Amino acid sequence: MVVLKEGKTGFLGFGGEEATVRVFRRQPEELRQEAVTLAKEILEELLPLMQVSASVEVKELSEEGRAIISLEINGEDLGILIGRRGQTLYSLQYLVYLMVGHRLKAHVPITIDVAGYRERREEALKNLAWRIAERVMDTGQPVPLEPMPPNERRIIHLALRDYPGVITQSIGEGDDRKVTIHKGG
Amino acid sequence: MKELVEYIAKAIVNKPDDVVVTEEQSEGGVLLKLQVDQEDMGRVIGKQGRVVQAMRTLLRVVAVKQGTRVELVVE
Repeated sequence: MVVLKEGKTGFLGFGGEEATVRVFRRQPEELRQEAVTLAKEILEELLPLMQVSASVEVKELSEEGRAIISLEINGEDLGILIGRRGQTLYSLQYLVYLMVGHRLKAHVPITIDVAGYRERREEALKNLAWRIAERVMDTGQPVPLEPMPPNERRIIHLALRDYPGVITQSIGEGDDRKVTIHKGG
Repeated sequence: MKELVEYIAKAIVNKPDDVVVTEEQSEGGVLLKLQVDQEDMGRVIGKQGRVVQAMRTLLRVVAVKQGTRVELVVE
């Protein structure tokens, strides 16, 4: 809040002036910082309750030009925290997002990574996309990939966006939604 | 495991004081029952059960570590 003009109380109630102030909405950047601090606190309480001992670190990175704040969980033997196809990691991220959102009364996206899983997974998915695209070009037959969460499907779509001769399409509902790579485009 | 569910549930409901989690040992493993205020039911279950399903996924981590099974129900 910024005071533009001080108010005056006047004398015996006469000659008083209203103060003029400008009230700002919470800045997105401020909200984001608040959210990440809170998310870190929550994770530091939640992980021991899951009998996982690990450290939580805040990391700023940029993904396709967007600034992303990610919470990195590091420690020994964290495969269990990632789960099959990252399912445990995504559940953890979703619940932390809900807890932060409930406390701050705002929806702030939260990204959590465990032992560099996301980066490794992204690399693996891009390689898969290119390999399958090559096969589709050779055979002309469409190839459906295994079901993936939204962020992973997005990686596939983006990896093949500028790949000449193939198009990608997501088909199916919910947990069964998968990307199919076709010849065309 | 009870504490984990309590922690999460209390952080996403409007009436955290009404969150009650009971833990029972059964032959199949551990049975957790989560009770919340009627108005908060939707918050702990989520659309298509997404929230309770995420809680179950995290509980499985603890169950695996303890070499047991766990079941979570909302009532």
